[in-house]
Amino acid sequence: MSVAWRNLIQDKTRALLSVAGVALAIMLILILGGFVAGMNEQVSTYLEHSPGSVVLVQAGTKGSSSVLPEETVAAARSVAGVESAVPVISQYAVLDLGQTKQYVSVIGYDPSLGGGPWALREGTFPEADNEVVMDAVLADRRGLRLDDDFSLLGQTFKVVGLSNGTTTWMTSYLFMRLDKAQQLFGSPQTTTFVFVSASNGITPDQLRKRLAGIRGADAMLKTDLIATSRTTYLSVFGAPLNLMAGIAGLVGTLVVGLVIYTATIERQREYGVLKAVGARNRYLYQVVALQAAVAAMVGSFVGTGLALVSAQLIMAFRPQFLITVEPASALSAAAIGLVMAVFAALLPARMVARLSPADVFRR
Amino acid sequence: MLLLALRNLFEGKARFVMSTAGLGLALLLVLVLDAIWAGSESQISAYIDRSGADVWVAQQGVRNMHMASSSLPVTTVPDVELVPGVRSVTPILYVLGTINTPNANQLAYVIGLPPSPAAGTPWAVVKGAGVPRSGEAIIDRTVASNAGVDVGGVITVLNHRFTVVGLTAGTLNIVNSIAFISLGDFMALRRSQATISYLLVRTAAGSSPSSVRTAIERQVPGVTALTTAEFSEQERAVVAGMSTDVVAIMNLVGLLIGLAVMALSTYTAVLSRRSEFGVLKALGARNADLYVVVIVQTAIALAFGLAVGIALTWLLSVGIPLVKPSLALEMTPASLAKVTSMALVIAVLAAILPVWQLARLDPAIVFRRKVA
Repeated sequence: MSVAWRNLIQDKTRALLSVAGVALAIMLILILGGFVAGMNEQVSTYLEHSPGSVVLVQAGTKGSSSVLPEETVAAARSVAGVESAVPVISQYAVLDLGQTKQYVSVIGYDPSLGGGPWALREGTFPEADNEVVMDAVLADRRGLRLDDDFSLLGQTFKVVGLSNGTTTWMTSYLFMRLDKAQQLFGSPQTTTFVFVSASNGITPDQLRKRLAGIRGADAMLKTDLIATSRTTYLSVFGAPLNLMAGIAGLVGTLVVGLVIYTATIERQREYGVLKAVGARNRYLYQVVALQAAVAAMVGSFVGTGLALVSAQLIMAFRPQFLITVEPASALSAAAIGLVMAVFAALLPARMVARLSPADVFRR
Repeated sequence: MLLLALRNLFEGKARFVMSTAGLGLALLLVLVLDAIWAGSESQISAYIDRSGADVWVAQQGVRNMHMASSSLPVTTVPDVELVPGVRSVTPILYVLGTINTPNANQLAYVIGLPPSPAAGTPWAVVKGAGVPRSGEAIIDRTVASNAGVDVGGVITVLNHRFTVVGLTAGTLNIVNSIAFISLGDFMALRRSQATISYLLVRTAAGSSPSSVRTAIERQVPGVTALTTAEFSEQERAVVAGMSTDVVAIMNLVGLLIGLAVMALSTYTAVLSRRSEFGVLKALGARNADLYVVVIVQTAIALAFGLAVGIALTWLLSVGIPLVKPSLALEMTPASLAKVTSMALVIAVLAAILPVWQLARLDPAIVFRRKVA
């Protein structure tokens, strides 16, 4: 295969450009796939950190726009096997900072019970009504710091804490006291969720069954609520990103094919010469396939490296994004690239294979 | 020279296809993402844009509908009616709720309309009534067909059963659909007659919406008033804010891919014609003349690539909503302008390599080697 190898590296510029084309295409596929994977992770981050294993939501809502009367909390506490019942208000709002507008997810909670931020970068939890803990990424992006004031829905709040891990690229979390959230959203004596923890020895499923009797509320396993939220969120925000990822996958694969196809076409003459000096078709195909495979593999390798580096760069400059490039997706992208490359190379090879050696030198 | 450029171009058919297709695909990435965001922005402000209102009145500090909640005392209605320049005031209640369908709970903005509303009604009623009375609901036709319900059927909205009396179009977007029930029913569900969400104001002939808007804010306490155009802009602004970073990343990636593909193409094009160019040089052609050949080729590939990218995006913008009605793709002039300048940048950068190749091409090479 020394012919193949020598031929391949003979023209360094062309080899470089071919590899670059393949690498960028692979990078594209992996970055967009990483966006989608990261979004899936971010969506459930609050619920995963919230207390309890069973969640009470308004009957029939499966969690969307759930409104429960406050009495539900006491009702839950009176059920045997309940360790704690934590009410939480969860509502979207628009944070209007003059120059920019941003959707935020407002969580109203009781700091003594839980359901608030799980990792503070700095500051404290809200004590007074007008105090909030803001997601650190949101605060940094909008130039807000500890002790700064801002306005939300016509009321003034003060940032007393900055939290970590509380952002998605669509929204960020904002934590305030439960009663303040109730007042802010004009829904006094209500709650959105009640997070229920089980006493020792009770499984989540058993707990759920015991809570089934509470009027006006459905008891869901928290894992089920996470799955439903993920589906809802993704059907809302995920469609465009999934569409983009699909198109990127298609474009990336086609670009790999195009690059290799052209690179092979350019060498038709050389392959013709091989034929003219007596090489059999099988040998021809082997040379061609090997060249394509090498270009694709090197390109995939470089592309995966590029994807990892650029993912880190994007997340460093725009921390609201989470891009997870997983080994499994890198491998499948490389596999697809390889298949496409070999297929794209064999087409022009077939053309040469069908020529008689004399034809090669005729133009 | 032009003839040479053209002949050169079309002889390398594969190369031409690759540069055109590759550039087209790279630009497609940018165009489609732009179109998705533009489509979402239009959808999100659709109700506001088509409401028929001139001024919107909301709770003080509230400047959005989507993901927002506004609460005004009912007494605001007569207060606003007294403001000079106001022709009619339509109060609505509004909440993000769910329509229960067999498959899943669909998110819906539920709007409570008063009887004989002067504004705020669905703008494209495809079947049945356009204003709901007590016990009745008007829903989006796609949601209805997904739920297996037609006019006369029963649907669950906000956990209560309503009879479907009308089906609408244009009320479905990427986030949710819009459903209409009567204001009275809405208040009964809330168990409160005391509050409403927004006031849709129509101005009298001869009064400008912005002057009425200012007058309302001055005369009526505790409200924020916006013209329909301003309100719509505020809605779109939130979506636009989400898109900037993602679009910037895609622009960069599209640019790089387009550049790599074009550079490879033009490089191999010149490379395979080295002997021809060498002969020309030997015959006295200046480098500048040869550059012109390359530039013309690149310009033609650019034009075709741009056309391919735009055509493919147009196809997707027509095809995708057929498959998934909640997705809308909109190609905007701004997006087209951006992509055209990207293509120009790619073409200029991609031409640098062959220009360099030609400059150092030694005419004598023609006589030394046969195979390019």
